[in-house]
Amino acid sequence: MRFSTLVRLSLAGNRTDRLRTVLTAGSAALAAVFLLAAASVASVRGGDLLVDPTGMADRSPGSEQYASPLLMEAGLRPGVIFALVMLALPALALAGQCIRLGAPARDRRLAALRLGGATPGQAVLIAGAETAVASLLGSVAGLGIFAVLRQVLDPRSADGRLWLPVDVVPDPVLVAVAVLLVPLLAGAIGVLLMRRVVITPLGVVRRVREKGPGPWPGVLILIGLPAFVGPELVPDDGNGPDWNVPEWAPLVSMGVGALLVMTGVVLGVGWISYTAGRLLRRFGRGPATLLAGARLMADPWNGSRTLGALLGALVFGAGTLGFRAQLAADFEASERYSRMVDPARGGSGQDNEFYFGAIRLVMVAVAVAMVVAAAGVLVAFVEGIVARRRAYAALTATGVPRRTLRAVLLWHTFVPLVPAVLLALGAGTALFRMTGTEVRSGGGGTYETCVDPVADWATCAKQTLVEPLVVVPVPIPFGGLALLGAGALVAMLLVVGVGAAVLRSSTDLEELRAG
Amino acid sequence: MSAPLLTATGVHKNYGNTQALRGVDFAIEAGEIVAVTGPSGCGKSTLLHCLAGLLSVDAGEIRYRDQDIGLFSEAARSRLRRSDFGVLFQFGQLVPELTAAENVALPLLLSGSGRKGAREAALGWLDRFGVADLADKRPGAVSGGQQQRVAVARAMVTEPKVVFADEPTGALDQLNGEQVLGAMVRVAREQGTAVVLVTHEATIAAYADREISLRDGAVDPTGLGVAP
Repeated sequence: MRFSTLVRLSLAGNRTDRLRTVLTAGSAALAAVFLLAAASVASVRGGDLLVDPTGMADRSPGSEQYASPLLMEAGLRPGVIFALVMLALPALALAGQCIRLGAPARDRRLAALRLGGATPGQAVLIAGAETAVASLLGSVAGLGIFAVLRQVLDPRSADGRLWLPVDVVPDPVLVAVAVLLVPLLAGAIGVLLMRRVVITPLGVVRRVREKGPGPWPGVLILIGLPAFVGPELVPDDGNGPDWNVPEWAPLVSMGVGALLVMTGVVLGVGWISYTAGRLLRRFGRGPATLLAGARLMADPWNGSRTLGALLGALVFGAGTLGFRAQLAADFEASERYSRMVDPARGGSGQDNEFYFGAIRLVMVAVAVAMVVAAAGVLVAFVEGIVARRRAYAALTATGVPRRTLRAVLLWHTFVPLVPAVLLALGAGTALFRMTGTEVRSGGGGTYETCVDPVADWATCAKQTLVEPLVVVPVPIPFGGLALLGAGALVAMLLVVGVGAAVLRSSTDLEELRAG
Repeated sequence: MSAPLLTATGVHKNYGNTQALRGVDFAIEAGEIVAVTGPSGCGKSTLLHCLAGLLSVDAGEIRYRDQDIGLFSEAARSRLRRSDFGVLFQFGQLVPELTAAENVALPLLLSGSGRKGAREAALGWLDRFGVADLADKRPGAVSGGQQQRVAVARAMVTEPKVVFADEPTGALDQLNGEQVLGAMVRVAREQGTAVVLVTHEATIAAYADREISLRDGAVDPTGLGVAP
């Protein structure tokens, strides 16, 4: 097959196919903008902490033009890069949902191509090329948007310093990675979504799983939680802490642990959906629960596919709230300890607002991620309704009230969603509680001090004091968690609301006469 | 008599617990037109799909030019369908998003032909079936009979050795059906192309040189529709 044939067959499509291409390109553009922003921050130089032999600390030049320490300090920039990359993930998940848009019509087209003599490999190539071309167009558009934003956005502080790194030209290698990574990942997502779809010349066969998913993803969570604090579990031999743990190990271990927990939560939704469907079918009293239960059991992985990004954002958000609670307890313990050992000073006098400000920024990023993830769920949700419109119209024609179909949507969405949200919040909270449920300050043993506090240390009469111990329990941030969970549920309620509106037009009896 | 072009020997095919084919033997020679008839559910279409390599058999073998196509990979069977075999269904085989000319040119394009050459060949075949004026129309914009002529042109564009036609006139009225089939048989005879024609209509079966009848998944030796 020639390249021109591949392009022609990839671009052949109806209105839904064009909509899919536009939405895929749009989400790819969004992901590319986030990745390019991360590349910009990664290209900022300077701000490393330098300590001279006299003990004076200074920062290396190159980042003094920025107003925010998040850009100015080299030690904080990896966190900003990480947050921006995290923001790209829900945008990529949105691209994944868009790839599924109009899947039944596309599958029919691919089956017709197979009948025309296309090999299975050519069919996958045509489907993959469509996604890759759309994503590539999107990420190139994202590059354009990014270039325009760099020119347009130039907020400055009162002293004229920059809030955004618009003065930095991102490293070309990083730009290339950001632009090419999106189509590559979108293509991979597309292939992944089609792995259980066999396009035969006689039609499309979706391999149906005969056994329901098991609770094995729970094992990932159980492994991920201790992995998150892995290096801290290494016994201390008395030669100082972390005697045999490389410097990078804690960060890698945290990342791996968090990833395992997120994966466990997302994949666990398959088991939750299947079990919820079985319970609904067994104990449900009406047709709505029967239909919803049957659908949950027929495709239990639907929840993992559609809610993955949302649940990932919830785990991340709950973890951030847990970290915030721990940090607050840490500061409180230091404060109380300082007051106890030196009442005259009245506390540590530390300004903690910067740290809490950074956490607030992360929570804003989590909120943005949830909105993008909810948009992805909306696309998948509407797609599911449109794909089943003839079945819905047939049900309506046989006398099933529309309110019953709306109830099916609600049951089908919320029965697995509520436990999944609770699991995500619980797992995210557990991550930081693994590091401890209380913070201790002091309690190191005894120390000497002058009986007369103003006397010279070398000659004064000394007294031995026991170092005070301050223990502050780390609270579970129930308020924040409730807000986060409620935000996810409200977002999904809005999605179901839009879905109900689409359902109304999709149950029109004219659908039975169409196509 | 020359050796058969395509043979099926002791072919069995099951769908779950249902036996669709129970030891069917079949042979067709080059240029021959054979009708496979029988009541609904007797296994006609399943036999055709197995012969065309669209379905794999559970037992027995299908040999094309003395090669067991059951041993071919899925990709090799696809290549066979765009070189030596042509396939024609009742409906649904055209790609709705491509024009009539693009649909006809599709097997050539998939084999690596250039667009210009493939389009010229497609236009020639559309002309032979009297639908050249529809070349740039999409399937949704033409009638069922015209769509079927385009589908026949696509099945013939690679000048196949065998065309498999599954109820090709099933969705057409009698007049249109006879026109489409008449054109296909005429061209097949000109080209020396063998045709396996599945139908349950006696008037359509009359176009064939020979007829075999199936009942309950087996060849009915009497040809009278009586189970063996």
